[in-house]
Amino acid sequence: MRVILESKVRAKPNLPIEAEAIIPRNFLKGTDLVVYEGNKERTLSELFWIFVEGTAVAPENIEVILKGDTSRIKRVGEYMDTGSIVIEGDIGMHCGNFMSGGTIEIRGNADSWLGREMRGGTILCRGNAGHYCATGYRGEKKGMQGGKVEVSGNTGDFCAEYLAGGTVHIHGSAGDFPGVEMRGGELIIEGDATRPCGNMKSGTCVILGTVHDMLPTFEKIERRVLPAWKITADVYRGDVANRGKGTLCVRC
Amino acid sequence: MTELWVKNACVIDPIRGINGEIMDIAIRDGRIVESVSDRADVIDAQRCLTLPGGIDSHTHVSGTKVNFGRYMSPEDMRAGRTKRKGKMHVTSGYYVPTTFGNSYRYSAMGYTTLLEGAMAPLEARHTHEEFTATPHQDMMANTLFDGNWAVMDAVREKDVRKTAAVVAWTLKAARGYGIKLTNPGGTEAWGWGEDLTGIHDMVPHFAVTPAEIITTMIRANELLKLPHSVHLHCNNLGKPGNYQTTLETFELVPDLNAARQTLYATHVQFHAYGGGTWKNICSKAEEITRSVNSKPQIVMDMGQIMFGRTMTMTADGPMEFNLHCLHNNKWSNHDVELETGSGIIPVTYSKKSAVNCIMWAIGLELALLTKNPYQCLLETDNPNGAPFVKYPEVIGLLMSKRYRDEECATLAAGVEQRTSLCALEREMDWHDIAVMTRAGQAKALGIGSQGKGHLGVGAEADIAIYPIRTDSVDPAREYRKVVEGFQKTRYTIKRGRVVSRDGEIIVDGANATFWVDAKVPEDLKMENDPEFIKRFEQFYTVRMSNYPVQDVYLPRGRRIETEVFT
Ligand SMILES: [Zn+2]
Repeated sequence: MRVILESKVRAKPNLPIEAEAIIPRNFLKGTDLVVYEGNKERTLSELFWIFVEGTAVAPENIEVILKGDTSRIKRVGEYMDTGSIVIEGDIGMHCGNFMSGGTIEIRGNADSWLGREMRGGTILCRGNAGHYCATGYRGEKKGMQGGKVEVSGNTGDFCAEYLAGGTVHIHGSAGDFPGVEMRGGELIIEGDATRPCGNMKSGTCVILGTVHDMLPTFEKIERRVLPAWKITADVYRGDVANRGKGTLCVRC
Repeated sequence: MTELWVKNACVIDPIRGINGEIMDIAIRDGRIVESVSDRADVIDAQRCLTLPGGIDSHTHVSGTKVNFGRYMSPEDMRAGRTKRKGKMHVTSGYYVPTTFGNSYRYSAMGYTTLLEGAMAPLEARHTHEEFTATPHQDMMANTLFDGNWAVMDAVREKDVRKTAAVVAWTLKAARGYGIKLTNPGGTEAWGWGEDLTGIHDMVPHFAVTPAEIITTMIRANELLKLPHSVHLHCNNLGKPGNYQTTLETFELVPDLNAARQTLYATHVQFHAYGGGTWKNICSKAEEITRSVNSKPQIVMDMGQIMFGRTMTMTADGPMEFNLHCLHNNKWSNHDVELETGSGIIPVTYSKKSAVNCIMWAIGLELALLTKNPYQCLLETDNPNGAPFVKYPEVIGLLMSKRYRDEECATLAAGVEQRTSLCALEREMDWHDIAVMTRAGQAKALGIGSQGKGHLGVGAEADIAIYPIRTDSVDPAREYRKVVEGFQKTRYTIKRGRVVSRDGEIIVDGANATFWVDAKVPEDLKMENDPEFIKRFEQFYTVRMSNYPVQDVYLPRGRRIETEVFT
């Protein structure tokens, strides 16, 4: 089954829409869902043109497609566990929070907090992602714990902060402080990064581009060939300032 | 004139010697009276358990330290969220909730009076501001003197009168209630990069020992005739083998006051460890309680820990640093100029940790082995041992051997070998619990004369009516009912008004803050002491004239004046 949601033209297009209801499982019982525009409760049909093609008996067979201006829609795919969501344009903050299964594809850019505290599933962002991509929440000890986030473009600052499991793959560059406080999992940045992996405890980070302002609290262990990336890299252990045992590989 | 008539109440009022009598309570204008007119509002208590409003004599709910705990744990604000409803503000947080969260949850449990366990005088304004936002409980603030430079100078000179004078000036300036000593001398020593290992170590640069600070402050406290005794967090908190320090400290305490204890030792569970390392830590609750049972001059509180996540916060900065090194988690540390310091770290007490299980058992042992319940009060050092919302579970554990045994069966090994808990048969009764949660506190804090902790004529009408029928519930077997019953009152009455009904807050509330204005002879007024002024202006970052808390911070301050000593 395919559910197409095309955003209607709104009088105040900058008002954020809180749409945690938009997950495939919820469309099994119909399209009668509630979202918020600012602090006003709205039905889905007030904000979207809804087209449903085919039927589904199980949520894994449901595909939700968002069209039109979706850049101010927040929390799409929150707690999603199965099925798929395709966003044809940009998406607002907190897309895929706590996601545990299924796939989200964003053809445009994603705003901040993409895949926050994700547990499983796959997020594919074809454009750029904002700050705090694939991270945790303020104060929480574990960020993303499983699944995969792949960004074709660049990310903002603090990408994969508190990463504890799963894979984060950035094809472009990350901003300041990627992989800070990493506890586990794998972070790959094909482009450049600034001050990566501060206070890292465990996990692996590979940077194929240039590292700016490398932190002095990483201890160089060896120089090694990484066949998976076809590069020779300096391998560091750290963050030694706080008993960290993470691995940071930087192309040399 | 407002009148309320509570009828058919099953009253336990230990201070007045009432134990389970069915009686009526008449209330007029916030006070308990002989009788009321027939126009009074009526509450039928239906023979439910009715106690004076609960009093917490050691909790951390207000002030800079608590608030920094909030800053440090934004994740905690994801828990305990309640929406705005009627008179209730929104709340959030579990172990360091918002002020309203604290107030509402205490109120739902029948608590009407709280003593904030530690207020740095320099930061008193913040504490008082948060007091006014804790509207359902009357508040008091223990005032920290453990590293007070002027106090240590006077102690070194062995001048009890001068010590008393500094205390009196500072209490008045901070609008504080009593003397709190947290790891006396230890936090100050740590500020100079050193650590004290016992009560006879010298505090660097001050040439005084913790023992001298404690004994001089006890004498100063009694000289000033303060309502509460010295309130002590002993040295060496949380270190295996520290029971020796605790026993040595208790030996220092003379019996100087007929009306109450001479020393209040707080969260003694954290100070009752045997062994020498975390591997061989064991309970020394028997030794501690043997000492307390023979010393009526000492009152302690349990400092019970309960399993789960919480935040530890104390003026004991070095202890928190040691804990931080153990856990390697987030940590904050703070120095308060010439006064004290503090540290904060989050902890999770786990049933899988033998150390945590032993700590849990020690708290219960202390209560069960103390013969006189007035000498061991029920607290968790909220939130250090557990958030106060766990008190009902602690009550359940004290009243039911079966509950304790069932809990013990889920714990890591060690409790049976290294504590005596499993062998203790004692099951506390309703009267013991009433003592340990209100009467004992009222007596220890010296607020019985302010109309707290009892239901006699003239008392403040702070009353908790719990949905428990003592004639039909057997706490030893039906401990679940006890726990549930103490979690939510049917009615909490504060100064004659029903403030909470079945856990729901129904009025805005307006609390009072008790503070002590201790009088000293003319020649001992610190505001006229050139040496004191000189050192103040030299070392503090604030001018002496800007230091005292203005009355505007205490919209409903209740001043307790003491007699001047000679
Ligand atoms: Zn405390």
